[in-house]
Amino acid sequence: MKLVPIYAIAGALTLATMLPQQAAADDLVVGAAISLTGGLAYADVPAQKGMQLAIDEINAAGGIGGKYKIDLRLKDSRSDPAQTSIAAQELIDDGASVLVTPCDADPSIGAGQMAQSAGVAAFSTCASSPNLPLAVGDHMFTNFPGDNVQATVSAKYAIDSGYKNAYILISPDTSYTQLPNYFKTVFETLGGKVVGEDNFSIGQQDFSAQVTKIKSLEPAADVIMTAAYEPDFPAFIKQLRAAGITAPVIGSDGIDSPTTFALGDVAEGVVFSTAGFAAPGSPLEAFNAKYKAANGENPDTIFSAIGYDLIKVLEAAVLKADSVDREAIWQAVRELENVQGATSTITYKGTNGVPLRQVSLIKVVKGDRELVLQEAPDAALIPAPSL
Amino acid sequence: MEIFVQQCVNALSLGGTYALLALGLAVVFSVLGMINFAHGEILTITGYTVFFSLMLAVPAVLIIPLALIVAMLAAAAMERVAFRPLRGAGPTSLLITSFAVSGILQVLFQNLISARPRPVPIPDFLTGAFTVGPFHIGVIQSLSILATLAMVGLLTLFLKRTLLGMAIRAAAVDFPTTRLMGIRANRVILAAFAISGLLAGVSGLLWIAQRGSVDPLMGFLPVLKAFIAAILGGIGNLTGAVIGGFFLGAIEIGLQAALPEPVQPFRDAIALTLVVVVLLYRPQGLFGAVHSVRP
Repeated sequence: MKLVPIYAIAGALTLATMLPQQAAADDLVVGAAISLTGGLAYADVPAQKGMQLAIDEINAAGGIGGKYKIDLRLKDSRSDPAQTSIAAQELIDDGASVLVTPCDADPSIGAGQMAQSAGVAAFSTCASSPNLPLAVGDHMFTNFPGDNVQATVSAKYAIDSGYKNAYILISPDTSYTQLPNYFKTVFETLGGKVVGEDNFSIGQQDFSAQVTKIKSLEPAADVIMTAAYEPDFPAFIKQLRAAGITAPVIGSDGIDSPTTFALGDVAEGVVFSTAGFAAPGSPLEAFNAKYKAANGENPDTIFSAIGYDLIKVLEAAVLKADSVDREAIWQAVRELENVQGATSTITYKGTNGVPLRQVSLIKVVKGDRELVLQEAPDAALIPAPSL
Repeated sequence: MEIFVQQCVNALSLGGTYALLALGLAVVFSVLGMINFAHGEILTITGYTVFFSLMLAVPAVLIIPLALIVAMLAAAAMERVAFRPLRGAGPTSLLITSFAVSGILQVLFQNLISARPRPVPIPDFLTGAFTVGPFHIGVIQSLSILATLAMVGLLTLFLKRTLLGMAIRAAAVDFPTTRLMGIRANRVILAAFAISGLLAGVSGLLWIAQRGSVDPLMGFLPVLKAFIAAILGGIGNLTGAVIGGFFLGAIEIGLQAALPEPVQPFRDAIALTLVVVVLLYRPQGLFGAVHSVRP
C-alpha cells in the first residue's frame, strides 16, 4: 500500500511529460536529456538543481534580457546511451533551441550527434573529457575544466612543490579515470619522472596489491596522482595510509565530495583539482547561499554550481544573439568571452568546444577545504586530447 | 618473499569478503534454487542504516547490531513481499523478479534518499594497521578475515546443531520430502533469507568501513563477484561458496601482483578466463552440488 503514492506520482509525471507542451514564440526551449536515475544521477541530479536555480532566477526577473523566458524540458535518459539518444531526438523534434546532455562523454556522443545534424548547440552538464567535442563536432560543447587542463595545473603544482618521482594510478574503465596520463605528460615535460604506474577497476574494493607495489618502488614515489573517485578513492587512500605510506596524494574533481572531507586523518593533506572555490565574496559563495535558501541544504558538490554556469552561458548567448533561433544561439556561443559563472569566468571563443575556465587546487585540511591556488594554466603546457 | 606473504594476506582478506557474499547467495540458492540479485541491495540498506544511525546519534555500540538486524529484516521482507507470491514459479521468473527488486530499490534509494553518495565517517582506529615483523596488516583486512571465519563457524554450528538448520540442509537436498516430514516451507525459506541477510549485513559493514560512503548503486558489483564465486565453488554448495570466494580473491590479487604493467588492463578478462577454464574441467564448479539431479 505504501508504494501507491509513488506510483501515483510517477504516473502523473509520465502523463505530464506526454502532454504536448506549447512554448511561447519567445521562450528559450532548453531540452535536457540527462540522467535522473542510474549510474550518472550522482552528477546530473545536482547539476539539474543548479540549472533550475538559475532558470527560476532568470524567469523571476522577466526572462533573459526581460524578453526570453526559459522553458526547461527534462527527459530522464536513465544513464543509458541509447535512451539518451532517443530522449535527445524527441527533445530536438519538440523544438528545443539547445540541448543539454549527461555528465559523461559516452551518452553525450550519441545525443551530441543528433544535435550536430539538427544544427542545435549541445552542452554536456559536467563531462570533463576534452575529446567529447572532437568526437561529435562543432555543435558539442563541454562545461567543465578539461581533464588535460586539470592535470596540467596539478602537475605544475607537483613540480613547484619539489616532487620529483611520481606514481600514477589509472583505471582504463572510463576516459575520466585516465586523467593521470595527462599528468604524466606534463610532469615529465617539467622534468619530473613517473617511477611507477598501475591500473585498477572501478568499484574494486581492494587496493592492497597496488599498495604493496607502491611500498616496494625504487626510488620511492614522493607524490601519488590518481583520478579515482568514490568508492575507489577512499578505499585506496585508507589502504595506502594503513600501509604506512605518507607520500602526498593528488586527486581530481571526482573526489570533490563530502565523503572525502569525512574520511578523517587519512585524507588530511590530500590536494585535488576542481572547478571552483567558495572564497569569501566570490560568486561561488553567493551561489552556495542561494542554493541553500532554495533547497534547505548546502550543495553536495561543485556540479550544482556547474549546472548554474551552464544556464548563465545560455543566457549570455541568447543576449548576444538577441534570438532563440538554434543557429543564432550556436553562433553566439562560439563568440562568448568571459561569461561570469558561479565557479569561474567562461570563454568559448577560440576554443574547439572545451571552455577556458580556471582550475582550483584545493587541500583537505582538518575535514575542511583550503585553497592552494586558482589559475588558468599556460596554454603551451596543456597536452593535446588523446583519443 | 615478504611481498609474497603480504599478498597472501591481501588475498585472504579480499577472498573473505567474497566468501561471505557468495555464502549469502548460496544459502538462498540451496533452498529455493534462485540467485537473488537483490542481495547487493541488502549491503546498501546496511550502509544506509549506519548512515542514518550516525545522523540520529545512535550510541556507537548499538549501530552494528542494529545494522545487522535491519539487514536480516530487509532480506526477510524481500522474501515475503517479492518472492513468496511467486512460490512455485520457475527459476527464470524468480531471477527476473530479483532483478526487478534490485532495480526498484536502487531507484527508491536515488529518489528518496539521495542520488549522491552519503559519507559515513569511520573511526580512525578502524583505518589503521598493525605491524607483525615486516608485514603491515590493515585493521579492516584482519577484521574481514576474522569475520569470515566467525560467520562460517557460526553458520556451520547453526546448520548442524539446530532443528531449523537441519531443516534448511534437508530442504536443500529434497524440499518436498522435508515438507512431508512436517517442516513448514515458509519457515525454512524465511530463515534462509534471514541468514543471507545477516551475511550481507556483515559484508556490507566491512565494505562501508573500507569505502567510507554509502551509494544507491553500491550493491551491484559485490553481488556480481559473489555470483562468480558461487558458480566457481559449485552453486548451492555452502563449502563451495566459501572456497570459491577465496579462490576468486586469490586470482584477483595474484594477477594484480604478477602481471606486467602493459597487460594489467586485461586483468579482469584474464581472471574471468581462468574461471571459465576451471568450469570447463569442472562444469559443476569446484564442489558441484551432489543433488544436482533430483529424482
